[in-house]
Amino acid sequence: MRTLLALTVFGGGIAHATLAPALRVAGVAPDLPLVVVVLLALRRGPEFGCLAGFAAGLLQDAASGGLIGVQALTKGVVGFVIGAAGGRLRVTQPLVQVPGLVLLSIAEGMARFALLKLFQFPAAFGEVMMYVVLPQALYNGFLGAAFVLALAWAQSFRDRAA
Amino acid sequence: MKIRGLALLSAVVVVCLLFLTLQTRGQSYRAADALAFVTTPVQTVLARVNRTAFGLWSTYLDWKNVRAENLRLREEVQRLRIAGLRVDDVVTENGRLRRLLALQERLPITTLSGEIIAREWGGWVRSLTVNRGRSDNIARLAAVIVPEGLVGRVVDVRPGSAVVQVLTDPASTIGGHVVRTRTPGIVEGDPRGTIRFKYLAREGAGIQVDDVIVTSGVGGLFPRGIPVGRVRAIDDRGSALFHYALLSPTVDFARLEEVLLLVGEARQDVAAYFAIDG
Repeated sequence: MRTLLALTVFGGGIAHATLAPALRVAGVAPDLPLVVVVLLALRRGPEFGCLAGFAAGLLQDAASGGLIGVQALTKGVVGFVIGAAGGRLRVTQPLVQVPGLVLLSIAEGMARFALLKLFQFPAAFGEVMMYVVLPQALYNGFLGAAFVLALAWAQSFRDRAA
Repeated sequence: MKIRGLALLSAVVVVCLLFLTLQTRGQSYRAADALAFVTTPVQTVLARVNRTAFGLWSTYLDWKNVRAENLRLREEVQRLRIAGLRVDDVVTENGRLRRLLALQERLPITTLSGEIIAREWGGWVRSLTVNRGRSDNIARLAAVIVPEGLVGRVVDVRPGSAVVQVLTDPASTIGGHVVRTRTPGIVEGDPRGTIRFKYLAREGAGIQVDDVIVTSGVGGLFPRGIPVGRVRAIDDRGSALFHYALLSPTVDFARLEEVLLLVGEARQDVAAYFAIDG
């Protein structure tokens, strides 16, 4: 199980640069590792979420050729926060998970923008939000909903089989 | 647990900031190289898997498109076939009308073209109804012709139509003669739907198979020389007064669509205006 989780996190981090372009809709690609990190953090807690986010983000940074550490930091923090909040909020409901994923994606995007601004990132905040962060957050929300439904279906199938 | 989590988060933040700081100082290559050592082979494999998967997918899409295109092309072929049949029909009709018009123009008799709107093809009566009638000055007993020869005569004139008794009607009789021998006789329809030439035995000794029979013009109803039929067989009745020749009509009555109705004087010999061989 741990191997599978590790493969999911590491594979997701690296595969993102290769596979995400294939999932582009109207020029918007989802942040697959973020979706995976959030869903895993909700189930496994803040420490796992933090480590998974850090690892996936680091690999994503390396694979995409950007500043190494930006996504590792933002995703690590997001993984930790959502893992910690998961115990207090009723986050098992898809109606909470999907908007939550959208909000987290926006928060992660804003954090990444802020961090990059420290390193002279040239783009304007409004443009980044309008054309990158918000569309990607919405896409992540839909993708997260699909993941959640698929997991629920798989779970019920497994229960029936048992 | 809580402290461990916070310690982990702090460690992550510190490591990331360390990475970022190192990069701003131009020492990013070591960390990037170390990560690339792990990521590059995995990315290469993933890219290959990706390419293969998308290759299969695009092959499937191509197959699906070809299938859809095949269906579309089949429908188009069907549509074009129907259109082709329509064109053939129009071309055939055009040819028929041209021939009819050519005959109408070269005949020295006034004629009126008419379209067949009904057929009575039972054994008792064989007739056609054309869309010309009293209002077109069509007279009863007027001859009805086509470029191949005689169709019959008008037996009933109505306000907008006329009924034509065709040669094969059992009650149809018209005067005719053999072109080659000038042997006179009567062309009769018979209940089998064929026509026969009834002639006096002593005058018809020379009639042969393939001889052409035309209207004689006797009585003034039909112009002289309109082809009626071709001798198919001779029924020699020995010492009987009349002999018979079975004829093949020059006109295919079943395929007629348009005809010419004679409305003028009908006394001339019109044989020269029809294609008669034999």
